Amino acid sequence: MSKQNNLSVLLKGILRENPVFVLILGTCPTLATTTSVISALAMGFATMAVLICSNVFISMLRKVIPDEVRIPCYIVVIAGFVTLVQMFMHAFLPELYEMLGVYLALITVNCIILGRAEMFAGKNSVGKSALDGIGMGIGFVLALLSIATIREVLGAGSFAGIPLPILSTHKISIMTQAPGGLLVYGIMIAVVNKLTHGKVIKKKEFSCAGCPSASVCHGGCAEAKEDK
Amino acid sequence: MKYIKCILSLTLICSVIAVMLAFANYITEPIIAKNDDAKANEALLEVMPDGEDFTLIDTSTMGLATTVNEVYTEKNGGVVVKLTTTGFNPNMTVMVGIDANGNVTGATCLSSEETLGYEKTYGESVKGATISTIDSVDTVSGATKTTSAYRNAVRDALNAAIVAGGGEAVKSDEEIFAENLAAALPEADGLAPVFMLDEIEGIDGAYASSNNVGYVICIGDKFIATDNNGKVISDSATTEEKAAATSAVAMISSWETTQIDLAAYANMPSAIVAAYETNSGNYLFDVKAAGYGINGGNKYHPASGEYIYIKVSITADGKIIACETVSQQETAGLGDACASPEYYSQFNGKTAENYKEVDAIGGATLTSNGYVTAISRVFEAITILNGGAINE
Repeated sequence: MSKQNNLSVLLKGILRENPVFVLILGTCPTLATTTSVISALAMGFATMAVLICSNVFISMLRKVIPDEVRIPCYIVVIAGFVTLVQMFMHAFLPELYEMLGVYLALITVNCIILGRAEMFAGKNSVGKSALDGIGMGIGFVLALLSIATIREVLGAGSFAGIPLPILSTHKISIMTQAPGGLLVYGIMIAVVNKLTHGKVIKKKEFSCAGCPSASVCHGGCAEAKEDK
Repeated sequence: MKYIKCILSLTLICSVIAVMLAFANYITEPIIAKNDDAKANEALLEVMPDGEDFTLIDTSTMGLATTVNEVYTEKNGGVVVKLTTTGFNPNMTVMVGIDANGNVTGATCLSSEETLGYEKTYGESVKGATISTIDSVDTVSGATKTTSAYRNAVRDALNAAIVAGGGEAVKSDEEIFAENLAAALPEADGLAPVFMLDEIEGIDGAYASSNNVGYVICIGDKFIATDNNGKVISDSATTEEKAAATSAVAMISSWETTQIDLAAYANMPSAIVAAYETNSGNYLFDVKAAGYGINGGNKYHPASGEYIYIKVSITADGKIIACETVSQQETAGLGDACASPEYYSQFNGKTAENYKEVDAIGGATLTSNGYVTAISRVFEAITILNGGAINE
């Protein structure tokens, strides 16, 4: 754990362990809210807020929470923070609250948050967990923003609601629909894989070492398997 | 011991989260409630700018008009009513504000599927109206259906405000008439005016029941019900009125018509579809009028190719007894007003000298002109049937 300096904890979420493109987590909100840039950003920041809060809280309690009931504990904490974000958005950002609708409540079951709680916050210090939350949050926001930009510009001919010349009269409406979302998502994964020269997913290693989360997991899952 | 630790820690975390959420709720709940209120009140304030503290009231037991959806009361005794009515198309939602004195403070159309858009501005013209003046507010010619539905909705709203304030709803003259008519002969499941084939002295109107149980004869403000043979059922009528009603029903049931062979007459106008002679020496004509359906038509309003069919009864000396539109395919909302009694009953009692002195239908010149021309053909036909020649 000492090998990880704070900066790498923060930065790894942006590309190397990007939750959406590399870890392939949180696919449901990704596809659902990337039809427009505004809703994607709102979703991204709401998730980021919950992620940071839950990471810090869970890291604080990591010594208190017994191993046997850690998942229920994590879920209670996450659901609590999601409800909190929901309440504050309803009160102070009612338009965004209505735009996101049910997906806001569904942040609770977003795998990224539970995933980070399980993989990182439950094992690391409060400071590092906060940095991990910020990094993963930024990674999630950037991923949503990039998909949403492509989908909104091509599909609706606008960016953040502002109509673009030429494009707004030649809309590719499939882009704002579910198939367009999957297409862009798939292409983006391929692009990220190319950019990182395939380092993140080593095809030869279908083992713990080949996992993008290996640096924090330390083969925990393999050990768990052996225990059984 | 291990289990107890698990239970305790999970309980502890749940409690901490619960306290946190309670605190957040304490902060955000009033703001959320305020936001929701402001949103709902936006439309309410538009029709009642001085309104404060709107409260939705339960109107289920008040027996309000079916158009009324929601009634809000306000701090200063005002009332805002939301109604859904049918203008030219269904689902025209109107919101009306009424102050404590029963004056309309404002009316606005929240949503509609009307064609011409008059419902967007008509609210201005009902401003300041009361229950006694609302019926005299002009409708917009060319958008009669939209604006009269709007006006009736405002009337329902004014009545709802009166009822909500504990008063009795004020009925319109038509409603009172229809109620009295129905009350006179409760067995009837519908009463339609009798098409007169002769003038009947001493009565103001005759209505036949659609299920054939009798007639209602109007004399002055009395509604006298009779059976099919003219036996008076109502008790309130005087002996003279009873006699008049009985003889009217006897006349109505005695009417018979014999078809005239039009081919026997040269120069008979082609507009005359059929002619009948009645046993009382009058004539009954089926006439077709070339309205907008025949003479109109451009790229915006394709012609339907349908004539207006009219039934006219007329005395042998050329005085119209009754006139009625039988069928028509004129433009909905404009020319189709020729099918309304307000239009065709104008010809009752007219002669060849004054039949042109009727109000035309606003926005439907071709329909009105075609109709009046068809009526003129009736007078020509009378002249021919009487053995005369048409003076071209």
